[in-house]
Amino acid sequence: MALLNFEETKKLLRKYKIPLCKTKISKSKEQAIKIAEKIGYPLVLKIAPLKIVHKTKINGVKTGIKNEKQLKKTWDNLSKVKEIEGILIQKMLSGREIVLGIKRDLQLGSVLMFGLGGIFVEVVKDVSFRICPVSKKQAEKMVKEIKGYPVLSNEVNIKQIIKIIVNLSKLAGRQKKIKEIDLNPIIVNEKKALVVDAKIIV
Amino acid sequence: MRNLERIFNPKSIAVLGAKSDIKSVGWGLMKNVLEGKTKRKIFVVNPFKKEVFGIKCFPSIKSINETIDLAIIVVPARIVLKVVKECCEKRVGGLIIISSGFAERGEKGQILQKKITEMVKQAKIPLIGPNVLGIIRPSKNLNASFAPATPNQGKIAVVSQSGALIDSIIDRSLFENYGFSTLISYGNEADLELSDFLLWLKKDKETKVIAVYLEGLKNGQKFMKVAKEVVKIKPIVIIKAGRSKKGVEAITTHTASLAGDYEIYSAAFKQIGLIQVDTVEQLFDTAKSLAWQPKCKNNIGIVTNGGGCGVLMADYCDELGIKLAKLSKTTLKKLAKTKKMHFACSKRNPLDIIGDALAVRYKIGIEALLAQKDIYGLIIIQTLQIMTEPQKNAKIIVRAKKKWPKKPIICAFLGGKITKKGIEILEKNQIPNYSDLKRAAWAMKVLIKQ
Repeated sequence: MALLNFEETKKLLRKYKIPLCKTKISKSKEQAIKIAEKIGYPLVLKIAPLKIVHKTKINGVKTGIKNEKQLKKTWDNLSKVKEIEGILIQKMLSGREIVLGIKRDLQLGSVLMFGLGGIFVEVVKDVSFRICPVSKKQAEKMVKEIKGYPVLSNEVNIKQIIKIIVNLSKLAGRQKKIKEIDLNPIIVNEKKALVVDAKIIV
Repeated sequence: MRNLERIFNPKSIAVLGAKSDIKSVGWGLMKNVLEGKTKRKIFVVNPFKKEVFGIKCFPSIKSINETIDLAIIVVPARIVLKVVKECCEKRVGGLIIISSGFAERGEKGQILQKKITEMVKQAKIPLIGPNVLGIIRPSKNLNASFAPATPNQGKIAVVSQSGALIDSIIDRSLFENYGFSTLISYGNEADLELSDFLLWLKKDKETKVIAVYLEGLKNGQKFMKVAKEVVKIKPIVIIKAGRSKKGVEAITTHTASLAGDYEIYSAAFKQIGLIQVDTVEQLFDTAKSLAWQPKCKNNIGIVTNGGGCGVLMADYCDELGIKLAKLSKTTLKKLAKTKKMHFACSKRNPLDIIGDALAVRYKIGIEALLAQKDIYGLIIIQTLQIMTEPQKNAKIIVRAKKKWPKKPIICAFLGGKITKKGIEILEKNQIPNYSDLKRAAWAMKVLIKQ
C-alpha cells in the first residue's frame, strides 16, 4: 500500500469536483514565506508525508499561525520530520469538521462513510455508511442519519456536503486502483465545504 | 432463475446412505422423508444393507429403474464425490448433500467441494449444500432433513446458513401459532446460493415473507441485485451474525477501521430495503406480523385497559417513528353517546378504557377507532384484572378485523396462563399477539409503509 503524493491527490480531487481548501506545498523556508504572504495569515502548516502516517499523532500539524515569526519557527520544527515531500501551507478556515471516506469490501464493493470530524469520529464513532454508487437521495439520508445531524443542520451548507458525497462515490466507482480514502477533515460552514486533509491509499 | 421445481416438489426421492441405526443422521432423514410416502415414490440406496425401514435397498442409484427427481446424500464425505458422479449419470433432477466435511473443514475439504461443484455445474444439476440440515415444505409433506419434527404450514419462508438454528426454530414454532411455507438450510453454497433461493421464493405462492439467517455472503454484488428485486414483491427480514470485532487500530484510514464487516452489511441491507433485526425472537416477531397483517400508512390508534401500558406503548411508538392519530370529534362523540365508557376514560389516543373494562367497552373502543378514516392500524393492549374477559375480547377483535380487513391489528395481551386462551383465538385468526409492549410496537412499525 502506498500513499498518493500531494500533487496527485490535488489533481484527482479536482477531476471529481471535490473542492480542496487552498493549499500550497513548500520545499524551503523562503518559499514558505512567499506563499504565506500570498495566502494571508492566519495559516495552518502540516507535513506532506511520503508514507502512511497519522499526521496529528506525530505532531505533523500546527494551526493558528499568525505571523512570519511563528511561521519560520513552525517550519523549522516540522521539517525535522523524516520521510516528507515538503510542508503544506493552508489558509485557516472556520466551520464544522466532517469526515468522508471510502473503503473496498471484497463482497459488497465500495463503502462510503460519512461522519462528524474530530473527536466525534474517533471517540463517539458517529458515522453512517452506504454502498456505492451513492445517489443524491441516499447521500441526503446518510447525512441525516447521524446523531449529530442537528449540529450541522443549523449552521452549515448541507447541499455542498451532499455534492461531495456523490462525487466521491463517482471517484470510487471509476478509480479502481484506489484502496482507501480519508477526507478528514472537511470544513463546512454556511457557504461552502472544503477538504482540508486528504489521504488516498493505492 | 434456476429451475428448482424437482427439488422443492419432487415426485420421487432417493436417499443415499439411509440407515436404520436409531439416532444416526441417515435414520433421522429417512424417518422424515417417509412422512411424504403417500405423495411420492421413495427409494433407498445402501449397498451394505438389504432393507432400511422395511424398504428394499438398491446397491446404487443407477440400479433404480425409474426417474429420480431429488437425490439426498448422507454418505461419509470421502465417498460423496463418487455418489454425486453416479447421480449425475442417472440425471437426477436435483441434489441435496447433507454430509459435512467439505469447505468448512480446511483445505482438503475445499478441494473436494470444488470437484463436486465442477461436476454438478457441468451436468447442470442444481445442488443444495453440502453441510446442510436439508429442506422442508410442510404443504407438500416434504421433509428432506434430519430436523426433529415437521413444522406447521404457514406463510413464512426461512433461509438459513445455519442448520442447527432451524431445528430450534421448528421446535419453538410448534409451541406458537405460526407456520412455514419452506425452510432451507443452505450450508456451504457449493452450487445454489442464497440469491437463488430468494429468487425461487419470490415466485413461491405460499411464501409471504422471507426470514434469513446470515453469517457471510458468497457473492455480495449478486445478492444486492437480487434482494433489491425480491423486496419489491416480498419483505425480507434478516439477522446477521458476526457483529463483535476486536478493537481495530486505525492503521491506515479512519474509514477502514470504522467500516467493519457488520457495519458494511448493515449499510447494504438498509440501502436494499431489508429489515434487519438483532435477535432470533425479533426475526420471527417481525415475520409473523408481516405474514399475517397488511401494510398501512403511518397513523395508528391504541386501545388499552391499562393507563401505564398505554403510556409505555406511546413511548415505544415515538421511539420507532410510529405516529399516533388524533381522535376526531366524531369518534369522541360516538364513544360518549354509548354511555358505557368509564368517566375516567382518556378521550384521546391511547384510548384508555380503564382497568375494569368488560368486553363491551373493548368493542365500542375498537370499532370507534377503526371507523375513523385516518386511523390506519390499531394496537390493542389487554392487562388482566379479575373481571377482564380475554376470550370475549379476542373474539371481538377477530370480528373487527373481518370488518376492516385492510387495517392491521397488533395485540399485546399481557399475561400468562389465563390470557393464553384469548391469545390462541387471536392467532388462530392470524392476528399477531406479543407478550411485551415493545415487541408489539416493533411488529406495527414493520407494517408501516415507508
